[in-house]
Amino acid sequence: MRNHIKDKLYHIEILPPKQNSEKLEADIELFAEKYNRVMESGYCACITDNAMGHLSFQGTEMIEELELEVRPEQVMIHLNTFHTLEDLHNILDTCVAKGIKYLLVVSGDGSERLPKLQPADVGAGGKVESVTSVELLSYINRKYPGKFTMGVAFNPYEPPEHEFDKLKRKLDAGAEFIITQPIIEKNRVVDELLEKYPDVPVIVEAWMSKKLHLLSDAVGYEIPENTEFDPIETLKMLIKLYPNCGFYLSLLGFKTQFPLIKDFWV
Amino acid sequence: MKIVVCIKQVPASNDAKIDPETKRIIREGTSAILNPFDTYAIEEGVRLKEKYGGEVVALSMGPEKAMMILREAISLGADSAVLLSDRAFAGSDTWATSYALAKAIEKIGDVDLVICGKQAIDGDTAQVGPGIAAHLDIPQATYVMKVENVSSDSITVRRMHEDGYDICEMPLPAVITVVKDINTPRIPSLKRRLAAQKAEIPVWKPADIGAEVDKIGLDGSPTRVVKTEPPPSRNKKARRIEGSPPDCARELVRELRILNIL
Repeated sequence: MRNHIKDKLYHIEILPPKQNSEKLEADIELFAEKYNRVMESGYCACITDNAMGHLSFQGTEMIEELELEVRPEQVMIHLNTFHTLEDLHNILDTCVAKGIKYLLVVSGDGSERLPKLQPADVGAGGKVESVTSVELLSYINRKYPGKFTMGVAFNPYEPPEHEFDKLKRKLDAGAEFIITQPIIEKNRVVDELLEKYPDVPVIVEAWMSKKLHLLSDAVGYEIPENTEFDPIETLKMLIKLYPNCGFYLSLLGFKTQFPLIKDFWV
Repeated sequence: MKIVVCIKQVPASNDAKIDPETKRIIREGTSAILNPFDTYAIEEGVRLKEKYGGEVVALSMGPEKAMMILREAISLGADSAVLLSDRAFAGSDTWATSYALAKAIEKIGDVDLVICGKQAIDGDTAQVGPGIAAHLDIPQATYVMKVENVSSDSITVRRMHEDGYDICEMPLPAVITVVKDINTPRIPSLKRRLAAQKAEIPVWKPADIGAEVDKIGLDGSPTRVVKTEPPPSRNKKARRIEGSPPDCARELVRELRILNIL
C-alpha cells in the first residue's frame, strides 16, 4: 500500500448496483464504465460491500460476470461481516482466482435481509459474542495466508481511546493499512493516528458529495447542514495537510469531478 | 419433488392508504415488494429441491406488475413462475384467492408440496395457505419452523407454538406455511438476477385454470370488509435522562426494572 501513496494513486469508491434496482442493466453499464475509467486512469477501484446495509451485488460477481479486467494493484474489495460463511468463501476464492489482493475488512452495516457471520463460523465460538472486523481479519489470515493485503477502517469521530484500542486489535489481527472515515478539515485524531503509527500506511477519506446529511449518516456524527463545504477545495486542502497519506474518494462525481482530480495530487 | 411456492406482492411502505369506499388497500402509486414472509417460503422450496431433486414453481395472483416478484423468485432459485392475472380475479378475498391458486396448482399438475409464507404483511390474515389446502382437500401444517424429513410419500415438519413445537407427519401432497425461523433466505446472485429478467412467465386467466367465474373476484368472495379504522394512537411518553453517562445508564436500568422490562 506504501507504493500507492508514493505513486499518488487515488482510491476511488465505486458502489455496485443495488439488488432492488429497477434499471439494473443501465446500472451495470454505469458500474462497468466507472470501473474501466478508474483502471485506465491508473487509480485503485474500491468496491463497496452492501454499503449502509443496502442490499447490493458483490464486487467480485460484478467483475466476474462483466469480465472486467483486474489489475492487481488497482482493485480493492470491501468485505464486511454480513455474509454466510459459504458466501464469504465464494468472495475470497473469487478474489484469489482473479488476482485481487487488497481487501478493506470492516464490521459493516447490517440489515434485516443480510445474514451475519457467527463466531463459530470463524473459529471464535465462545470467545466473542459477535463477529467484528477483528475476528474476520484473523480468520482470513488463517485460511488464506499470504494471499491478501488487508486494511481496516478508523473512525476519528468515535471516542479516541476506544477507537485506538479497537485499531490496535485490528492491527494485531493482521491489518496492514488504515482508511479513515471521511474528514473535511484538519483532524486532531487523525494527526494522533499518524503520530502513533508512522509506519502504517494511512489513507484519508475525502467526501466528494455535497450532501452533508449523508456524511453525517456515514460518520455517525451530526455535521450541520449549513456548514460551508466544497468537496474539490476540501480535497485540495487535505492533500496539502496530509502529504504522507493516500486519499480515498467517496461518492466521487464521475462526470464533473473525475476529470479534475488528476491535477491536484502531483 | 414438484414444489409450488405461492407468493404475493404487497405495498412496500407502512403508510399504505385504505380506500374509504371499497375498504381495500390503494395500491396505485405505492411501491410494491415481495411479501417478506414469502422469501422464506421460496428459500425452503429451493433448499428442498437442492436436497431431494425436482423443481420449484413460483405462483402469484395479481396485476401484471406482480411479474416483478415472480422474477425475484426465479432469481432466488425458483425454476419457473406463473402469474394469474385478469380483471375477473380483482377483489377476491382469501377464500376466492385460495380457490384460484388451488385451481392453478391443479393445472400445474403432479404437485407434491405447496409452500406459503405464514401470512402477507398487508392483510395479515394467514388464511390463504389453509384455504388452498381446503380447496385441494389435502393436509396442511401452518407455522412450520423446520422440515424434518421428506420421503417419497410423506413429510415431517416442526410447527412453532407459543409454548414449544409440534412434530407433524403428513402424507404428500400437502400444504405448509412457514415462519421466518425456518431459514435464512439467500441473496440473489447477479447471474440469476439477469437470467430471471429474461425468463418467460406465462399469464393464466380464469379459463386457463378452469376456474368458475362466480367463485372468484368480488362475487366469489363470501367475506366483505365493512369497516376499517386505524388503531388508536399510543400515548407515547418520553423522559429524558440527564447526567453523566454512568449515572444515565444506572437510571435507565432502574426505570426498565420498574417497568419489568429487565
